[in-house]
Amino acid sequence: MTDALAAPPDFETFVLDAANRQAAAAARTVADASGMPYSPLVVVGAPGSGKTELLQTIAARIRAQHPTAVVELLDPDRLAERHRSALLVARGELFRAELVTADLVMVDDLEQLARHQDCEGLVADLLDERRAAGREVVVATSTPIERLEGLDARLVRRLAEGTAVQLSLPGAEARYAILRRRLHGVDTTLPVEAVRAVADAEFFTMRDYVGALSRLVAFQEATPLPLSPRDALVLIGAPVAPVPPSDLPAARTGDEFGEFLFEVSASLTEQVDRWRRTIGEAVLRWGGEGLRTRRLEALLSDEAPADPEPVLAAFEADAREILNLAAKAAQLAPDLAGAEVFRDPDQVTAARALVANAGSRAAPLTAPLAHYRWEDFAEGPSMRLPMMAARDIIAEPGQRYSPLVVVGASGTGKTHYLHALGNALIAAGVAHVACLGGHAFVAEVRALQDAEALAAWRHHYRWVGALLLDDLHLLAGERSAQDELILLIGELTEGRRQMVLTSTLPLQQLEGLDSRLLVRLEGGLSVELPSPDREVRLAVIKRMLTDTTARDDAALADYLAARPADSVRAVQGFVQRVLGEAAAQQVAPSPALAREVLEVMELGLSRAARREAARTASGVVSPGMGLVRSPEKIVSRWPSVADRLVAELR
Amino acid sequence: MPLVNFTTREITCKLVYYGPGRCGKTTNLLYVHGRVPEDRRGNMVSLATQSDRTLFFDFLPLELGVISGFTTRFQLYTVPGQVYYNATRRLVLQGADGVVFVADSQARRFDDNLESFQNLQENLLEQGVDIRQLPLVLQYNKQDLPADLILAPPDLDDAFNFRGVPSHSADALHGAGVFETLKTLSGLVLARLATRPPAP
Repeated sequence: MTDALAAPPDFETFVLDAANRQAAAAARTVADASGMPYSPLVVVGAPGSGKTELLQTIAARIRAQHPTAVVELLDPDRLAERHRSALLVARGELFRAELVTADLVMVDDLEQLARHQDCEGLVADLLDERRAAGREVVVATSTPIERLEGLDARLVRRLAEGTAVQLSLPGAEARYAILRRRLHGVDTTLPVEAVRAVADAEFFTMRDYVGALSRLVAFQEATPLPLSPRDALVLIGAPVAPVPPSDLPAARTGDEFGEFLFEVSASLTEQVDRWRRTIGEAVLRWGGEGLRTRRLEALLSDEAPADPEPVLAAFEADAREILNLAAKAAQLAPDLAGAEVFRDPDQVTAARALVANAGSRAAPLTAPLAHYRWEDFAEGPSMRLPMMAARDIIAEPGQRYSPLVVVGASGTGKTHYLHALGNALIAAGVAHVACLGGHAFVAEVRALQDAEALAAWRHHYRWVGALLLDDLHLLAGERSAQDELILLIGELTEGRRQMVLTSTLPLQQLEGLDSRLLVRLEGGLSVELPSPDREVRLAVIKRMLTDTTARDDAALADYLAARPADSVRAVQGFVQRVLGEAAAQQVAPSPALAREVLEVMELGLSRAARREAARTASGVVSPGMGLVRSPEKIVSRWPSVADRLVAELR
Repeated sequence: MPLVNFTTREITCKLVYYGPGRCGKTTNLLYVHGRVPEDRRGNMVSLATQSDRTLFFDFLPLELGVISGFTTRFQLYTVPGQVYYNATRRLVLQGADGVVFVADSQARRFDDNLESFQNLQENLLEQGVDIRQLPLVLQYNKQDLPADLILAPPDLDDAFNFRGVPSHSADALHGAGVFETLKTLSGLVLARLATRPPAP
C-alpha cells in the first residue's frame, strides 16, 4: 500500500517547512555541486522524520542530471553484507575502491553501524580517502554525533568534522502537503477532510502518517461511502474520544491474520538472519586466523540453512584443533608450519597424521659433533675437489652431489670433513641432519626387534634433511644394515635430501658390500681426501701451536710442516710429541727441540748427546726463510774430535 | 523449545491457552479460526459438552506457509478449565512452546484465576519447566464488560503479573486483543529459536 503512494522523490516537489528547510537546502547543494561542500554532510533526525527520503531525493537528482553517475546509498546492514561478500571472494579491496571512486556515497541509519564493528574502520577509511579524493559523503543518523555510542572514535571524529543538519517532524500544514503529494496520481475517492484529519493527528514519525494514509486509501477502496474524518481517525487508531477506562484495544476489522503472519514472518526471518550473521561472523573470525571456511560458506549459500548450530560447533572444534596441530607441528618440524592442511579444518584427519609423523621425526637424531667446525678444516691445493663439492653441497643441499662419497685413508680428516659439513648444513638451514658412524648404523639396525620397531626406525630416518654416514666400509658383511641403507638412499634421493658417506677405500675396492648399494653410491660423486700436503700440514701445526709459547715461531712451524706425514693424525701426533717434550723439559718448543724429539730420540741417544746431536747434526735453519736444509748436505760446524769420541763411546 | 526440523525444513510451535473455566480460551481460538483463510487453517477440533464446556481440549492448527525456507506451523491448544480435568491439562501442557494465560477480568472470578494460575505453575513444575523460562503472555479477557464488574488491567497486573510478562486486555468475543496476544506470544516463542540451550 505504501508503495502505491510512493511518488518519485524530487527536490522540486519536496515539501519545505522550518523543520526540514536547512537539511533540504544542504541536500540539494550536495546533489547539484561537485566536490565536497560539507565533507561529510550529516543529516540528523528522529526515526521516520524523512532522512531516507532526503537521501533518495539526492540520489534521484544526481541520476537525473548525470545518468552515468555512480551513487551508492547504503545502510549499515547492506554495507556489511556487501563488504563481507566481497571479502569472501577476496574482492574486499575492489569493493573498497568502488566506494572510494563512486560519485557519491550515502550511508543511512549510521547509528546501526555499531552492530557491524568490522565495517566501522571501512567507513572511517572511506571518509578519509574520499576527502583526500575531493568526493563528498552523506550520512544520516537518528542519533546526534556527540551521542553516538559504540562507534569507532576515529569515525566519530571524522563525522564531527563535517556539517550536521537537523531534520524534524514537519508541522501539520507541511504534513498535509506531504500527504496530498503522496496522493498525487493515486486513483482514490478519499476525501481531503480525511487526509486533513490524518495530518492533524498525533503521530511520532512521518512514516506513521504515510502508513495511516495508506490504510485509509485501502479502506476507501473497499467501501463505497466516503470516509468521514472521524472514521478516518478511528481507522488509523488516533484518539477521537476519551480513552475508555481499560486499555482494551479496538476490535479490528482489517486483515488481522495477514498482520499476524507478517509479524511472524518478520520474527522468523530475523532469527534465520541471525544465524546467517552468526555464520558470517564465524567466517570472518576463522578466516582472519588464516583458515579455510568452505564449510561455513556453504551454509551461507543455502537459501534455507541446515541446522547451523551443530555445523558451526563442529567447524569451530575442528578449527581449534587445526590451530593446535599447526602449533605442535611448528615445534616438531618447522618445515611443516605453512602446510596447507594446517589451514583447512576440513583436513583435520590429514593434519593429525602429519603431526604424528612429525612427532616421530622429532625423535633425537645423532647430530654432527659441534666441535668439528668447517672453518677449522685445513685446506690445501690437493683438496680442491672435496672442498669444492662441500661448498656446492652447503649452497644447494641435495641438489648436486648426493650421495657424495669421500674416500680417504685413515687419519686424512674424513670424520672432521663429515661433521664439519653437517654443522655447516645445519647453519645453512637444513633441519634434522643425521650424522653417525658405520658401527652405530649397524648397531641400530641390529637392535630392531620387530616390524613395528623397524617401521619406526625407517620413519625416523625417512624425514632427515641430510644423512651423513662415516666409515661406510664398516657395513661390509652386514646384510640387514646394507638393505636398510639401500632403502634409505632410495627415499632420500627421491626427496632430494643430501647424503654424504666416507670410506677408507674406493667403492670399487670395497668388499662385502651389496652391489645394489654400490651402484646407488656410484650414482653420486666420489672424491678423494688425499694425504695432507704441506699447506694442510702447516695449517694444522699452526692451529696446534696457537695456544703455546711457540705460536709465533715460524721456524718451528716450517720445520714441522716439512716433515712428511701421510695423515693429519700423524701430523698431530708429532706436534703433540714435541709439545709434550717441551712441557717435560719445561722449555719453550723450538726447532732444536723438535729435531731432538723427532730425529735424534728416534736414534736412542742420551739426553745430553741428543741435545748436542740436535745442535750439531741437524740441518741449519735459515733465519727468517722458514726453510730447512737437509742435515746431510749442509753442516754449519763439525763437532770436535773429542766430542765425537765421547759420542761414539757412549 | 519450538520444534525445528532442519531436515524437513519445518518449524512447529505449540501454543497453549490456559486459564479457569469459562474465561474465554476457546473463544480466542474461535476468533482466530474465523480470521484465518481456509487454506491456512486445519479443522478446529473441539470436544465440548452440551453446555459448550471444553471436555478435553481444543486444537487449531495454523499453516503459516514457507517462511525463510521453513514450513512454519502453529498449533493452538486450549486446556479444559474445570479443576477436575487436571490430568488433561498436564497432557496438553506437555511440550508447550508458549502459554497464554487467559484471565477472566470479572472481579468475582478473581479466585478462580488465581487458582488456575497456580495450577499452571504447578503443572509446569511437575514437567520440569520453570515458568520463568517459558514464553508467557497474560490476557485479561472480558474487558468489555461494565467497569463495575471487572478489575482494571493494572489491578490484574498487580495480582498476576509480578514477573512483568507482556499482558493484553481483550474482548475475545469480538476479537479485541486476540491477535495482539497471539502475536506477542509468537514473537517470544520465535525469539527463542536463536537462543538454544547450550549443548550438554
